Amino acid sequence: MNNVDNLINLSKDLRWQIGDDFHDNLAEGIYADAAEIVKDSVHKKDENKKLRLDATIDRIVTSRVWGFPIMFLILAVVLWLTIVGANYPSSMLATLLLDTVHPFLRSMAVAASFPAWLSGFLIDGVYLAVAWVIAVMLPPMAIFFPLFTLLEDFGYLPRVAFNLDYLFKKSGAHGKQALTMSMGFGCNAAGVVATRIIDSPRERLIAIITNNFSLCNGRWPTQILIATIFVGAVVPKAFSGIASLGAVIGIAVLGMAFMFFVSWGLSKTVLKGEVSTFNLELPPYRPPRFWKTIYTSLIDRTLIVLWRAIVFAAPAGAVIWLISNIHIGDLSIAAWSIDFLDPFGFLLGLNGVILLAYVVAIPANEIVIPTILMLTVMVTGISGGEGAGVMFELDSVTATGDILKAGGWTLLTAINLMLFSLLHNPCSTTIYTIYKETKSVKWTTIASILPVILGFIVTFLVAQIWRLF
Amino acid sequence: MNELNYSPLTALLTFLGIVLLLFLLFRPGKGWFWLIQKNKESSRKVIIEDILKLLYHSENEEKSLNLVDITRTLKDPDDLIIDSINEMAEHELINLEGEHVKLTQAGSEYGLRIVRAHRLWEKFLAEKTGFAEADWHKIAEQKEHELSDADTDKLSARLGNPQFDPHGDPIPTNTGKMANVTGTLLSEMEVNSFGRIIHIKDKPDIVYRQILAENIHIGSHIRIVEKNANRVVFHSEGEAFVLAPIVAGNITVTELKKDVKVEENIARLSMLTEGETAEIIGISKEMRGESRRRLLDLGFVKGAKVSIELPNPLGEPKAFLIKGTSIALRNNQASKILILKD
Amino acid sequence: MEATPKSACEACPQFNAAGLKKLGVNTTEFDFVVALAGNPNTGKSTVFNAITGLRQHTGNWPGKTVTRAEGAFEYNEQKYKMVDLPGTYSLLSTSEDEEVARNFLLFGQPSVTIIVVDASRLERNLNLVLQVLEITDRAVLCLNLMDEAKRNNLEIDTRTLARDLGIPVVPTSARFNKGIPELIQTISDLANGRIVCKPHRIKNIPKNIESAVQKLSTEIEKEFPNIPNSRWLAFRLLEGDSHVIEMLRKGELIEELQ
Repeated sequence: MNNVDNLINLSKDLRWQIGDDFHDNLAEGIYADAAEIVKDSVHKKDENKKLRLDATIDRIVTSRVWGFPIMFLILAVVLWLTIVGANYPSSMLATLLLDTVHPFLRSMAVAASFPAWLSGFLIDGVYLAVAWVIAVMLPPMAIFFPLFTLLEDFGYLPRVAFNLDYLFKKSGAHGKQALTMSMGFGCNAAGVVATRIIDSPRERLIAIITNNFSLCNGRWPTQILIATIFVGAVVPKAFSGIASLGAVIGIAVLGMAFMFFVSWGLSKTVLKGEVSTFNLELPPYRPPRFWKTIYTSLIDRTLIVLWRAIVFAAPAGAVIWLISNIHIGDLSIAAWSIDFLDPFGFLLGLNGVILLAYVVAIPANEIVIPTILMLTVMVTGISGGEGAGVMFELDSVTATGDILKAGGWTLLTAINLMLFSLLHNPCSTTIYTIYKETKSVKWTTIASILPVILGFIVTFLVAQIWRLF
Repeated sequence: MNELNYSPLTALLTFLGIVLLLFLLFRPGKGWFWLIQKNKESSRKVIIEDILKLLYHSENEEKSLNLVDITRTLKDPDDLIIDSINEMAEHELINLEGEHVKLTQAGSEYGLRIVRAHRLWEKFLAEKTGFAEADWHKIAEQKEHELSDADTDKLSARLGNPQFDPHGDPIPTNTGKMANVTGTLLSEMEVNSFGRIIHIKDKPDIVYRQILAENIHIGSHIRIVEKNANRVVFHSEGEAFVLAPIVAGNITVTELKKDVKVEENIARLSMLTEGETAEIIGISKEMRGESRRRLLDLGFVKGAKVSIELPNPLGEPKAFLIKGTSIALRNNQASKILILKD
Repeated sequence: MEATPKSACEACPQFNAAGLKKLGVNTTEFDFVVALAGNPNTGKSTVFNAITGLRQHTGNWPGKTVTRAEGAFEYNEQKYKMVDLPGTYSLLSTSEDEEVARNFLLFGQPSVTIIVVDASRLERNLNLVLQVLEITDRAVLCLNLMDEAKRNNLEIDTRTLARDLGIPVVPTSARFNKGIPELIQTISDLANGRIVCKPHRIKNIPKNIESAVQKLSTEIEKEFPNIPNSRWLAFRLLEGDSHVIEMLRKGELIEELQ
């Protein structure tokens, strides 16, 4: 293979002779060829530069006056359609999977004379967790992703990146992060996948690590429920709706603030040396093909993410059932863990139940509230619920509030839970996705640990200051 | 924890204490942790290599140094420096001729190796990382001590065996060959002469940062407009620059013959206003590595027509119409694309 | 480049099965492998879907298809595997997308490469086309989005274009399924050797670089006489592409290219 070495050495010598301009010259040469060819074969019949409609739309959506209001309006409409629109199919799915199929499976298990531990493990643990994730996750994603994809295919989203890039640049990030962040409002795992549109290594890592600060679909219901029970209750009845809505929006905005702050911090510290480039093409507007877009976004985004979530939720359901039903001494593992976590929870203005729920519900934020309710009933011994290890939710908001208050919850617990729900580690689906996208243990670890540390700090500070006054 | 003993105030204070401790330990650049690490690093080897480099550079400028010069220039403790110099003399890296310290052949070769590692590192930082220009020298100062000869060759190969570092200094080959830089100092150019900047000295730091802040860079064509004891004024790429002579003395220029056509009307893409069209002349040498390639691939090549397609509600990025497509660029990119307005 | 017609078997995937297999393409059940290259925003994936009937999602983004999408179709009782490469502006840089596309074209040696371009932005798109033509000599230009070009009052002389580029040119509007049957017919003609290309080679290169490229590519051909794209390899070596250099050192490059 001596000749090969000669070849390589020859190329080195030649490169030395040509100097640094090789790439410039080659790129210029290719474009010069292209220009010659085009001159031969393309003829323009008249000189109107661009479709007039395109130009008009661009002037409006990027105008100083209308650009930002239009953007916020569209985001608000998409989120509203998602959250409100998902309620109906979600409750239908819940009725079907939780209220009809679950008892049916149980009775089947009795009929087949399964031992209690087996039916508990399989039906109350694995099945219930999976059913829950499907019921809560599928409808919002099935609404959010097609809407988002329609905007994307139309060509509006690159204009959003264009409008907002200046703000993101200030924190060392890329304008396209506005889109991956919005995608995170649907699902953080999908948001992390969407960072592929950012082709600069540093900005892409920033977008991946900070995506978790977008409140995802799995966390919106938790926020709304807790805000309604606790925040709505401290103001006069007439304003309770507005107050709880304000609290939820406040948390989402706080998330964005953290996103900017952490992006800035990352770009100034650990990511300082990563390569950073910028380019953004503004493609022409093209009318999306409605049905096709809906079909493909369901297949490409919704179902893939849902499948990953199910894969992770199944073992979590099993774990939740097991820790509630395996006893060491006279207490279950869950009860031991709660006792152990309680002091720590107290420092953070939370409690052991919440912390344990977040530990076992890593796979999906959707099952945090059902797990908290089940554990609260279990440790307080009040009536309600369906037995150890069986997650449940109540139709009545007041009844849910009663259980939580019996578990010792105060307004502080509620606010800190809302904060902690925003600032904790990403769900395991997202962690796995981050690993697949970055192929780096280091960045996956940072992306997983950083938010939870922030969560501890913030809830801790809020708790201490709250108690001071 | 016993909730009776707990007071939120103590908890808060404990927390603040921990934060303060962490801050003192890990404060960027000045934290104790970093200082301890740095102390460990400034071992004998590093000092020796720094002395070799210092001697190498001054011998190139035909200045000779004595012990006092060395201890004054390097920031390490004097006794350590003296120890190192004695050790170097033992290993025949230097000769002590009375007060003066001279490099031996071996010492000179060693010094050259360090210079090579340093300049390759700067080239690497410029081409393959996102570190700011002002930080390159400092990082390379540390990294130059960590490379073995084989590592240096590998780094060089990875960069395509470059001839010059980003400041325009020649990079020695592994056999010690070095391209020549011959030029005139900017402060010594005649009024109305044309030139191309080929080298910018990165020391002293204050002067270098000032040059960087002015956006003066290697490869730019310049014309001297005015020169006196207080200032040097020159035009470059559509802008006028005013420098103190001492700053201008840090910039080296090769003089261009009068018949070389120098475009006087060159401007930067960032100066284009809506409604104007322009032709691209090229991309400034300051744009390097991946960012430069990206721009070329997107069609920002010599001869392309460009105009503003869409202004931005926040000022930047602006979208430019280039070869039939709108591409948004930030101001710091547009300011590195040279144009000729129509 | 030689212009002798290739025999059918020289173009079939078994011919370079090893290279394709290494790139993760299952070749056993297919007669031909077709690669799909193009700039972002040219409707590349729409063409892919129109040909294969698959519903791959597309968007107005570069880098959408980071991992390759694959599909298949049958025509005249021959089976074709289609590989959708990431949309890129160029093949000269080091981004992940470009690496994937470049390596597939170079080492996968697909039987036919479809290059999708936006008819209204031909000049910009030709940048990629000319690079692809340096690597492969069995390619077809899919002049997509003809409907938009008409609305922009552009007239494109496809015959002159085909003559200048040295490859067949098929105008399409993939959104409306226009031109797709003709495209498939052309793919089949190319794959079976009924059309022979004489692809354009980049001309406007400064003299010193051109002579360096020639010197190097003659040396490469001397060493490896059967290599189809020595000029492109010379480009890559002058660029200092560490991947190509590494493969050359290990001898893998030659194994895969022959």
